[in-house]
Amino acid sequence: MRLPQFTYHSPDTLQGVLVLLDEYRDQAEVLAGGTDLLVRMKQRLALPEVLVSLKHLDTLSYIKEAPGMLCIGAKTPIIDVIRSDKVQQQAPALVQACERIGAVSIQHFRGTIGGNILQDNRCIHYNQSLLHRSGRQPCHKDGGKICYARDEADRCNSTCQSDGAAALTALDAHLVLNSIRGERREALDAFYTTDGIHPFDMQPDELLTQIDIPLVPGAVSAYERLSFRSAIDYPIVCAGVRLVPNPDDSGCIGSARIVVGAMGRSPLFLAQVSRSLAGVAFDDTAALEKAAKDAMNAAAAFAAHNAGAELAYRQAMVEKMVVRALTQAAARVFTRKAR
Amino acid sequence: MQTIDITLTINEQTHILAVKPNDTLLEVVRDYLDLTGSKEGCGEGVCGSCTVLLDGHPVRACLTLALEADGSAVTTVEGLADEDTLSPLQQSFIDHGAVQCGFCTPGMLMSATALLKEQPHPDRKAVRKALSGNICRCTGYAKIVDAVEHAARPASGCPDCHTKDTGGDHD
Amino acid sequence: MTDYSLIGTRMPRMDSRAKVMGKARYTADLKLPGMLVGKILRSPYAHARILNIDTSRALALQGVKAVVTGADTEGVKWGVFAYTRDQQFIQTEKVRYIGDEVAGVAAVDEETALKALDLIHVEYEELPAVFDPMTAMTTDTEPIHAAFPNNINIHVNIDTGSVEENFAKAHYIREDTFTAPEESYFHGEPYAVAARFDYDDCLEIWMPNGGPHMKSKPLSNAFKIPLHKVKVKKITIGGAFGGRSEICPADYICALLAKKTGHPVKIVFTREENTIATRQGHAMITTHKTGVDREGRVLARETTCYMDGGAYSSTGPIATSVPFLSMEQAYRMGSVRYNGYRVYTNKPIRGMIRVHGRGFACGLDTQLDMIAEHLGIDPREMRLRNSRQPGEFTSTGSQVWSCAMDETIKKATAAAGWSEKFAKLPPFHGIGIGTNSVQTGFPMGIRGGSQSFIKFNEDGEATVMSGVVDNGQGNENMLVQIAAEELGLLPEDIHLVSADTETTSSDPGSYSQVSTFVGGQAVKVAASNCRKKLFAVAAKILKTDPDKLTAKNRMIYVTDDPEKSVSIKKTVRVALLNFTSVNAEGGYWPKVDMKREWVSNPYGQMCEAFSFGTTIIEVKVDPDTGRVTVLNAVACQDVGKALNPLVLEGQFEGSVAMGGQGGMLTEYHDWREGRCLNPTMLEYKVPLACDMPEITDIIVESVYPENPMGPYGAKEAGMSIAMSAAQAYAGAVSNAIGVYMDSFPLTPDKIVAAIRGKRQAGK
Repeated sequence: MRLPQFTYHSPDTLQGVLVLLDEYRDQAEVLAGGTDLLVRMKQRLALPEVLVSLKHLDTLSYIKEAPGMLCIGAKTPIIDVIRSDKVQQQAPALVQACERIGAVSIQHFRGTIGGNILQDNRCIHYNQSLLHRSGRQPCHKDGGKICYARDEADRCNSTCQSDGAAALTALDAHLVLNSIRGERREALDAFYTTDGIHPFDMQPDELLTQIDIPLVPGAVSAYERLSFRSAIDYPIVCAGVRLVPNPDDSGCIGSARIVVGAMGRSPLFLAQVSRSLAGVAFDDTAALEKAAKDAMNAAAAFAAHNAGAELAYRQAMVEKMVVRALTQAAARVFTRKAR
Repeated sequence: MQTIDITLTINEQTHILAVKPNDTLLEVVRDYLDLTGSKEGCGEGVCGSCTVLLDGHPVRACLTLALEADGSAVTTVEGLADEDTLSPLQQSFIDHGAVQCGFCTPGMLMSATALLKEQPHPDRKAVRKALSGNICRCTGYAKIVDAVEHAARPASGCPDCHTKDTGGDHD
Repeated sequence: MTDYSLIGTRMPRMDSRAKVMGKARYTADLKLPGMLVGKILRSPYAHARILNIDTSRALALQGVKAVVTGADTEGVKWGVFAYTRDQQFIQTEKVRYIGDEVAGVAAVDEETALKALDLIHVEYEELPAVFDPMTAMTTDTEPIHAAFPNNINIHVNIDTGSVEENFAKAHYIREDTFTAPEESYFHGEPYAVAARFDYDDCLEIWMPNGGPHMKSKPLSNAFKIPLHKVKVKKITIGGAFGGRSEICPADYICALLAKKTGHPVKIVFTREENTIATRQGHAMITTHKTGVDREGRVLARETTCYMDGGAYSSTGPIATSVPFLSMEQAYRMGSVRYNGYRVYTNKPIRGMIRVHGRGFACGLDTQLDMIAEHLGIDPREMRLRNSRQPGEFTSTGSQVWSCAMDETIKKATAAAGWSEKFAKLPPFHGIGIGTNSVQTGFPMGIRGGSQSFIKFNEDGEATVMSGVVDNGQGNENMLVQIAAEELGLLPEDIHLVSADTETTSSDPGSYSQVSTFVGGQAVKVAASNCRKKLFAVAAKILKTDPDKLTAKNRMIYVTDDPEKSVSIKKTVRVALLNFTSVNAEGGYWPKVDMKREWVSNPYGQMCEAFSFGTTIIEVKVDPDTGRVTVLNAVACQDVGKALNPLVLEGQFEGSVAMGGQGGMLTEYHDWREGRCLNPTMLEYKVPLACDMPEITDIIVESVYPENPMGPYGAKEAGMSIAMSAAQAYAGAVSNAIGVYMDSFPLTPDKIVAAIRGKRQAGK
């Protein structure tokens, strides 16, 4: 399958990239690993006139600790995140998510953590060839006025299927974005527009450069995802959780972040359900199960026929993924104590 | 359309090629250099038939622009043998019946070669995991797993392992 | 000669070396001087009339060398059978599925060809479309083919008589309906065609195929050139699995473009085209009504099957029949009535596939398990009470000679620990059994036999010419193995000229499971004829009688006095110096009932040999998510004679993966208005290495020494496992969750729903 034509630039410096993004704006796409962008280009879903490659920007590949934070460069390969001692200890949910991304020989060496977060939203009706799409009305994301994932919908119902984004949202990650205008930070859970067509609150001249994970003392995290096969597939539902113990050492949850992914147009940070876990004991299985059920009820409304699995099943599995993630994270409190 | 000159070292041979920006590494090795061992099975990075080693790491050649590989060292299946002498892994594939239609074989060999460089004696679980990005429709993977596992360490119970005095390292 | 040098050994395949070196050439790897890139324009509509096609802008594009449409053809409709001629190679009047061929272009490169496709303007008038057999049969919208007013393409009716009578005698009767959507082959290699006309107006054409002689005849007809001018060439093939047998419009379009441009043309399919524009497996709704006696023996069965055939007939009569045939071969039935309906729908074309009717077969075995439970019989015992025995006749009158079905059941269940496990496993652990039988061939009329020629070179090595094709299963190695054995040479002394219609004689093709039985036997006969000639010459050299000689290891020697020997090389040279040659031919035509026909006369001897397979699967189901982990797989097949256990095991293992792991757990096509939602390898889930279980292979042999049919007694190998594996997976999951499943494949959502349904029913 032949890629469409484009002009290619591979600047040597970050500034070089930013200048080009400022010049070409909507006509340009950033090329990191290419495992998402190039597929969409082959399907003629993305037709950038210019590709700005991060080939020479190895300066954006790093994992380092700063006060109270773990900072990961956006161009860090997935394999480096998986293998990092720091991430394994401080943010295990992210390691679990990265291990499940696609397959080792597809994304793990060539794919980047930034690229994984910034992968476009997906829908089984949208991510198809021109032949498939040409004999019917285009959908919202394809420039039309109809949604095939949800009847009568007046907006796009594509979903964010990024494993990394779900885990990082649970970890309360913040993004650092750069442009020639300067640098800005944004919380990941505020970064989503909930617009399936343009899912990210990002200007066309901006580049994601760094992902910051706040290090909260005692915090535990976990990530669970479901797919039919054990590799290659996108998740049909996933859950990331972070639990922070109550500082009074009572063995109770101080605060929780429960995130459900591959359901909505963005990772769904379920604030209300998360709040309901405050004060709950880590080993209160019944409370964790109830929270998982509440998460399912909250997330179910967002489900649409945008993935290759039965809708009712995906909704029901939210509960299973959330309870497993919560149980795993809670168990990490005890293993840490046991050390 | 304008072409750009790149330098690609493929199977230890350096080439200077004039490529188009939208040429993939797969198209360059197959169409420009007639190295047709790497295959296009799906064009979207899923099947693994196009797997090559880029600076030693397994990647999808169909999703790698040739320009992105400029200055890099690429190994394709044609680079595994030393002229007519097969690598122990290639020989193991033959001996264990791991090759049926052969279409997935080059990609399997590349993923397995990368694995064995990193883990010289992987167990079956590790082999299966490393090969999970390579789709085979003929073998059910069973003999491929045997071939990779036994390439580095022949198994005494296996009727297809031909114990040789291999001496030193395996790749 | 029961002391073989090569037969029965674990012989690594001689074609593996080129494949591991990346040197084997598949169709898409071919580069011919001046070659153009071909692309096909396909209908974006499921059902539409073609009002007008304007190719002028495409023709005007720089770099475009030819554009062809239906107007460049004679509009003749082609079909595998005389009574199934319903497909034009390029549509002239209407399109019948999304993907139907409307035009072809040849250009200097892929980008230009793709641009040219965009410039072809087709005016369509959309017509109402139908997407499932039940709607298709009862709709009052325009039929898909005018000659078939209710969209019923094929109706196979088989009735042994006495069905009602026997139901009346039955102790217990069950009627159950089972459904399965379509599945696909997902060959590693996407389809491709390369074609050129040479200086002699001969068509040379390469494509993955299940039988080159099946391709050459329709091309000869279509281009009105004699068969000797159609050269379907040998090429390495990346899988067929039943889906690459008959001519395909792309073959014709590629050749037509080559003719028009005077250049070689190559068309390479995308993965999506390979899925929707070649063949798929049929979706089926199967109702089995079975009446048994007190011991569980089947007295009467009535089966009705509605198959979603897609837009054209393809090998419809065969596909409509084989699920029934496998059933009647494996199981004894007092009486049976079968009505199989293949129905047109506006979807991609369905054909033969390695698991012929998974819904049918899994439904059959699931129902046997249900009956077994009702009667208090173990499923293993249920199979043994109904299993085929040697010497018996199938319901439609095929005699079964070589048969070791019971041995496969007993050995497989023993290896899997069946009696320790069945009904004794913890909750959500299950074990299942599947048994099936596959015909080694079927009546193929004029193309039923195979003929081989063997010539010797002066250096004592031999070239074997055979029409047999290798799709990856190891047929080439099989021919080399047999020829080397019979000639007394080493495998490396044998060169193959095969699968080439210019140089080889007609052969039935691999898709009817006869490459070994018929093609291999033809080579064996030819080789033994060579050996007779060699012995005649050697006998003179050694001053003895020909019947006292043995050929082995490149030597001919007196059997009882091996020191008295002469090399084969010398024997060949002596022959040539004495005005004679040791070349020979040999052929084999299976003795089948040539009057047997799929639809008009489905009775009589189907083939000479049947394979029998039993698969046992043990699973663990996660009741929360419905995900299935396979703990153990045992595959056991009666292959007649194991020519090469290494290759056989590979066939069994691939069969477990395709038929069972994929076919029963994750593979199915999802549709929206005739549009395939999962044509790619991402969204259609074929099994991966990390999800496959370890597999135990058990080979069973059953050779009749007085009449070892097939070379050394070898029968088809692998397909009985593909089918029985599907059945065993279904049985195991049903057993694990305590619910008999009737809708396949058993994806996690169905399993979760079944578990929930059972819980609620229990309340």
